[in-house]
Amino acid sequence: MKKKRIAGIVAIISIALTFSMLSVSQEFPIFSSTETPEIETPEFLWTYRLIDMIAQAFVMFAAAACCVTVLRVEKKE
Amino acid sequence: MIPLSYYLACSIALYTIGMYCLAIKRNMIRLVLGIEILINAAHLNFIAFSAHLNQGYIDPLGSSIVIMSIVFAGCVTAVALTIVTYAYKHYGTLDVRKLRRLKG
Amino acid sequence: MNALLIFMITTPVIGWLAHKRRYRKIRDLYAISGLSVTAYFLFELYVDVSAKGPLSSCYLPFEACLQVDMFGVFMAIVYVMIGLLAAVYSVRYMERDTGLAEYYTLLLGMIAGMMGVVFAGDFFTLFVFWELMSLTSYALVAFRKKRWAPIEAGFKYLIMSAAGGATILLAMSFLYGMTGTLNFANLGATLGSVVPNEWLYVTLTLVIVGFGVKAAIVPFHTWLPDAHPEAPAPISALLSGALVQTGAYALIRVLLVVFGSVQNAWQMTLMVFAILTMFIGNLMALLQDDIKRLLAFSTIAQMGYILFGFSIASPQGLTGSLFHIMNHAIIKGLLFLCAGAFVHQVGTRDLKKLEGIRRKMPLTSILLAIGAIAIAAIPPLNGFWSEWLIVLAGVEAGMLLFSALMIINVLLSVAYYLRLIYVIVLKEPTPISEKATEAPRSMLIPIVVLAALCIIIGLYPGPFIALAEAAAKAALSL
Repeated sequence: MKKKRIAGIVAIISIALTFSMLSVSQEFPIFSSTETPEIETPEFLWTYRLIDMIAQAFVMFAAAACCVTVLRVEKKE
Repeated sequence: MIPLSYYLACSIALYTIGMYCLAIKRNMIRLVLGIEILINAAHLNFIAFSAHLNQGYIDPLGSSIVIMSIVFAGCVTAVALTIVTYAYKHYGTLDVRKLRRLKG
Repeated sequence: MNALLIFMITTPVIGWLAHKRRYRKIRDLYAISGLSVTAYFLFELYVDVSAKGPLSSCYLPFEACLQVDMFGVFMAIVYVMIGLLAAVYSVRYMERDTGLAEYYTLLLGMIAGMMGVVFAGDFFTLFVFWELMSLTSYALVAFRKKRWAPIEAGFKYLIMSAAGGATILLAMSFLYGMTGTLNFANLGATLGSVVPNEWLYVTLTLVIVGFGVKAAIVPFHTWLPDAHPEAPAPISALLSGALVQTGAYALIRVLLVVFGSVQNAWQMTLMVFAILTMFIGNLMALLQDDIKRLLAFSTIAQMGYILFGFSIASPQGLTGSLFHIMNHAIIKGLLFLCAGAFVHQVGTRDLKKLEGIRRKMPLTSILLAIGAIAIAAIPPLNGFWSEWLIVLAGVEAGMLLFSALMIINVLLSVAYYLRLIYVIVLKEPTPISEKATEAPRSMLIPIVVLAALCIIIGLYPGPFIALAEAAAKAALSL
């Protein structure tokens, strides 16, 4: 078991390092296709925070409904 | 300013670690944490990109996306942990390999 | 259209408040009426969009929210139709379960999420509604939690689907890094003219993996044969008929709009994946004894056909794919609801125990036979037309080897559908199927509607093919 665990950790560190090095070697074309990023969308969202808060509220309501469904008590008749 | 490629390397390393966690770990709670690590890799990416456009200016779109996405990640974790809690309370095990009763 | 959005979002809320009343049927009827009103508004929306071209935004003064074009309306019509029929069916099917208020809330939330996905004009809006749809479906799969199997199936589905969602989020972050925007129109415009570099290919891989988990592409399909049988039957019908189609829709939309410049790369990749999906789905389905698991594997195979049609990357191929999405939703809904009727009456899913149930449940068995004949692509019914369109498009585009492989797969699938009909209709009844009685009328009505649609579309496919063609044109023109 010990050997397997050490082998696993070594494998994952080497894979993570490989992918990271690959990503560092290729230049990332950041914002290469536009000169300035668009500003209207985030400006609107940050001015009227209520809108994105309502979107989050709906997803949270769905998550709460899911938790209630999984944890509901089934009465024995 | 730290160059962008270090942030990218970090987020890709996080993504790999998250995938490893999902593939190898047996404990249900560790699988849920693996999902969290995956999502946080993407969050790191968003914030890194939004900070590197110009020096000293942060593009607000990245931040607004991350704020909403943290909420959704929390919701997924909540539902996942609910199922794990229910499974533990009724069946006494947290081991995913013991769940392999469906096959074929 | 504004009313459609508001209603779509408020039905879950009110559906849950209704459980405060004493009379339980009001809650079920409220959910059904919510879906009917949505259907009416959707019809108005369809008339609007087909007359004036794509509408964008809502009454909010910015573009990054919703964009409704014919492709979205087409998918939304399919979802609302299947959702309405599944809701009517579940009035009777779920009557022995507790927690029905949350069930209808989650059902409406899932349909709302799916409609939000198809109406999204912005990648992040798509992700928001994608998460809503996924969250509600996790709890719906694990709904009958007293048995062990739904909990395991639900957890496995949750882990894989959440990992897919995280992959989509990572792909979104790379796209944002490259262009600074997430709006589909802007993404298409800016990335269309850029020389593809390695990061674009990485993003393409992440997109295919992320959406492929939901769309049941083969290496990522392993949640499906466990989750679909264990969900309650109307939810199975919705999962098979609508949720995996939403994965396909998102894949189609993103690949067509954003990755137009690397089209050769994803075309070949998707074609190989599609063939692999078809083969694995059909071969595994030949071995199954559980009726719902057999239907789940057949869903995987049908998604292979849809992806094949899409990867041909011609308007005819896309038309065939979209028409097959609609047909598959109708037929798979029909099959799963019939299988659910069997389970409701007899209590088992094993095909060996369900033999010869036609003696006792004649109408349901005949309807199941109609569905199986339709999906096996036998001529006068609707499956034949859509699969024929896909094969024709493949041959016209010169992909002769792959079209031949698809025809082989269709013939393979005929084998297990005919086996299904043989077992249900022609064999001698076992002691367990002797105890069955005919399914209740309110469960039969949705099944009859779906079967009638199968026959109508099969005999007069013209207007429906025109609808799919308009949707394909809208998808390709963005």
